[in-house]
Amino acid sequence: MNLRQTIQAIQLVVIYLVLQIFFMRNLVLFNYAFSFIYIGIILLLPVETDRLYVLLIGFLVGITVDIFSNTLGMHAAATVLVAYIRPFLLHYQMEAKGVDRLEIGIRAQGFMSFLAYLFPLILIHSSVLFLLEMNNINMILYSLMRIGATSLLTIVFILILELFSKR
Amino acid sequence: MLQLVDFVVRNRFFLVFVLLEILSMWLVVRSNNYWGATYFNTANYYVAKALTISNDAREYTRLGDINSNLAHENAQLRAMLTDLQQQSPPNAPAGYLPDSGFAERFTYSVAKVVDNETHYQNNFITIDKGTKDGIAPGMGVISATGVVGKVRVCSENYSIVTSILHSQFMVSTKLLRSNEIGYAKWPGKNPNEIDLVDVSKYTKIIKGDSAVTSDQNAVFPPGIMVGRVKSLEVNQNQTFYNIVLDLATDFPNLSYVYVVKNNQLEEQQGLRNSIEQAK
Repeated sequence: MNLRQTIQAIQLVVIYLVLQIFFMRNLVLFNYAFSFIYIGIILLLPVETDRLYVLLIGFLVGITVDIFSNTLGMHAAATVLVAYIRPFLLHYQMEAKGVDRLEIGIRAQGFMSFLAYLFPLILIHSSVLFLLEMNNINMILYSLMRIGATSLLTIVFILILELFSKR
Repeated sequence: MLQLVDFVVRNRFFLVFVLLEILSMWLVVRSNNYWGATYFNTANYYVAKALTISNDAREYTRLGDINSNLAHENAQLRAMLTDLQQQSPPNAPAGYLPDSGFAERFTYSVAKVVDNETHYQNNFITIDKGTKDGIAPGMGVISATGVVGKVRVCSENYSIVTSILHSQFMVSTKLLRSNEIGYAKWPGKNPNEIDLVDVSKYTKIIKGDSAVTSDQNAVFPPGIMVGRVKSLEVNQNQTFYNIVLDLATDFPNLSYVYVVKNNQLEEQQGLRNSIEQAK
């Protein structure tokens, strides 16, 4: 990671966190669809980022969001899990394409493979969140609907933000 | 020993991952305990400060809703207030007991002002409630701060209100401290001032005294603010004061009004009409 990438990564963290904490926190559609766009920070970090840093950034970002939503530990757990799985998915994509260097982004990867990279991770993230939050097995259907709706809304927002970003 | 180091190095990401997950879970469990009030939540000063800013921004977009809620609440409070006032009128003699039908004769409904004029000689206000909401011509209209006017015509969804800023509109008005009754009438110039006529010059009038709707009034509930005495002068040739009131209602910025329905208005006017026919 060079200096330019580091600055870009810091920008990414700040923009997504501010958006999440100040705006997306209030945006809940039909009481089902939340938008946890901050997960985009972990998903869009450059591929070369050290795996250890990805894990630590994930934890810090998760804790920050937790502090602002009174759910200490939940977002952190979900985000760390995503940060851990991310390299495997990237590795898989690289092997499938037969390249040894990959750049993340809708333009660099192409829409379909970008989506194929985003979707599983976002689904895992919201699943962990809502299943951790669920304290009663009777709420499982409700939680599943929330997981689906939240994943979709989050993906839509991340795609929109990605379309507007310069990378 | 070397093997152990080797294992740690090879699996260092997994170990960090497990460590962080355990830390997260520990935080989850710990903050689930109700006694575990921690420092890291929204009660923290800086977090709360940041959230307040974000909420302010959100509230700004919802001001319309908040306004209309407050207006509804005002309407309820007004209804309760007139009920109470009418059940024990402040200046009635000790033996007077109004019956409950009379005391509860006023009901209120909230309406939004959709069109408002103040620049003409005869001004009208359009509101967004009509016959569908039980509004009928002749009902009084007040605002949170004072009198506004009287409903003139209604369609299904809208009504036109004759504003008190109308050359032929008069409201029976009482001065609170001097206990004098006169008529408020707009001279047609300044939308913040109104004249009070027919007050005898042989009484003492105090500057700044409040003028409210009087009890001799079928349209408005008694005690609704009309304005405050701004200036008064005596014309030598006449027996009445020239009093100018500062209007209580802020007409240029009117946004919500309350339509007052007097449930006994028909009865009262019917009686009156029967006398006038007999004359």
